[in-house]
Amino acid sequence: MKGGQVDARGGIQAGITSFLKEALSKGCFDAVMIPTRVPAGDSFAWILTDNEDLVAGASPLPPVMPVQGARALSSITKKGKAPAKIAAVMRPCEVRAAVELGKLKQVDLANVTLLSMDCPGVLELSTYLSDPTKGDSEFSRLLDKWDAESLRPVCRSCTHFSATASDIHLGLLGAQAERLYVMPLTPEGSRVTDALNISADQELDSWQAKVDEVRQKREEQRRKSEVELKERVEGTEKLLATLSTCIGCRNCMRVCPICYCRQCFFDSDALEGEVAAHLSRAERKGSLRFPLDTLLFHLGRMSHMSLSCVECGTCEDACPMSIPVGQIFSHVARRTQELFKYDPGKNRYEPLPLVTYEQDELHDFEQPYVKTYSGKGAADA
Amino acid sequence: MAESFDPKILYVMCGWCGTGGAETASAYGMYYPENVRIFRVNCTGALSTVHMLRPLLEGADGLVISGCHPGDCHYDDGNFMARRKVALVKTILDSLGLDSDRLWFRYVAHGEARRFVDTAAEFTDHIKSKGPNPLATRSDT
Ligand code: SF4
Ligand code: SF4
Ligand code: SF4
Repeated sequence: MKGGQVDARGGIQAGITSFLKEALSKGCFDAVMIPTRVPAGDSFAWILTDNEDLVAGASPLPPVMPVQGARALSSITKKGKAPAKIAAVMRPCEVRAAVELGKLKQVDLANVTLLSMDCPGVLELSTYLSDPTKGDSEFSRLLDKWDAESLRPVCRSCTHFSATASDIHLGLLGAQAERLYVMPLTPEGSRVTDALNISADQELDSWQAKVDEVRQKREEQRRKSEVELKERVEGTEKLLATLSTCIGCRNCMRVCPICYCRQCFFDSDALEGEVAAHLSRAERKGSLRFPLDTLLFHLGRMSHMSLSCVECGTCEDACPMSIPVGQIFSHVARRTQELFKYDPGKNRYEPLPLVTYEQDELHDFEQPYVKTYSGKGAADA
Repeated sequence: MAESFDPKILYVMCGWCGTGGAETASAYGMYYPENVRIFRVNCTGALSTVHMLRPLLEGADGLVISGCHPGDCHYDDGNFMARRKVALVKTILDSLGLDSDRLWFRYVAHGEARRFVDTAAEFTDHIKSKGPNPLATRSDT
């Protein structure tokens, strides 16, 4: 990977914001969408601004992810192309979700410059909220050490933590003290680095080596957590036990960047039933548990969106019942994505798997016909 | 128990080839097990993944889907899209340790009466040997 360097004397976050501030002042973009600390101090929200001071005071890498960035970008560009150039400063999973939302026509990337950076992960929202000061210092330690114990479970085994489908990627890993790497990944990215006179022709070997090292650790962690997760949720009994505390609040769906539907199918009239229908269901099943259709909601949601799931874990942070819903979705998503060899957020032009097909594929899922069946229930038996 | 188990089977077929196969079977007076309930859809491609999941959670012991052979879809590619959705649903079930083998997808052409009755019988025996679907009678799905 090739790139250049910029100054980060005030620390990583300040390095990123001063890069943005300069790009803004040189007219590389007209506005910046970036996370910033809320006035109360204990959480973060997104702002869209052209004010250089606000950008300078923003937090490009907050310690938590209360709102997935792709959702914020969707709020801005859902109705169409931005009339002015917007730089969206996001973590890799947010960039990937934005690319997926572009395919789903919920984000218009036409006038958006996507900026990503190496992401050490985030802390669990609830843990952070219980002691933000402690959380802040833990996060600065993480930015330095890149270990994983205190991260959210999905972050601990995230392997997409670095350069992704963005226009510009900022490399923190392997950089010298007080420096940041800048990698233009698209012509749009080069437009910005050229305007800022950053020569991006340096081979970033130390960055690459560090990224590979972290990725290897994450992959190892991933294998371990998968075994643990399967132990916990696999099979009818365990899965239903895990979901039995679900209160049906739909937080997981509402905060998910990919679940954009204005009316979720699982909250629609399609699942409403007459009293008599409930009574006969209760009779058939011995009893009926409310909230209804918990497993249908989760499996159905997986079937709707797991191919685009970016494993960001926002759903799990939002679950009031501490159900490992992000880990479960991420586990399933890896498999459904593997089925179609689809890597969400990687390629803006690759179609979503459910809008296309190959004629010669998936034969394992076709039930072979063994000529005339002569088993017990056979036709003329 | 195994002998007395009378599985509830839902047989979803497209309005062209699938039901065509069933009509041909009836014209020849062929037999298929009574516990198989046929549900006609315009095209297997019109089936949503939730249509596949819901019966398996709500009372069916098995679900079998038949549409036109590859290349024969009345709408060109509905059966190819259905195959993708079946593969998706089966993969989701598998990855969570739920039984994906209660869902079958097999092509049946208009004239293939034998293939239709064979599928109905074979799938019924297959589900009988598996036993009742544990999800169908659980109150907490
Ligand atoms: S399902 Fe969860 S992990 Fe996947 S994209 Fe949605 S919020 Fe992120
Ligand atoms: S679960 Fe399905 S219907 Fe509901 S919001 Fe998500 S994608 Fe839309
Ligand atoms: S957020 Fe948690 S409790 Fe709410 S619907 Fe999702 S899994 Fe259930």
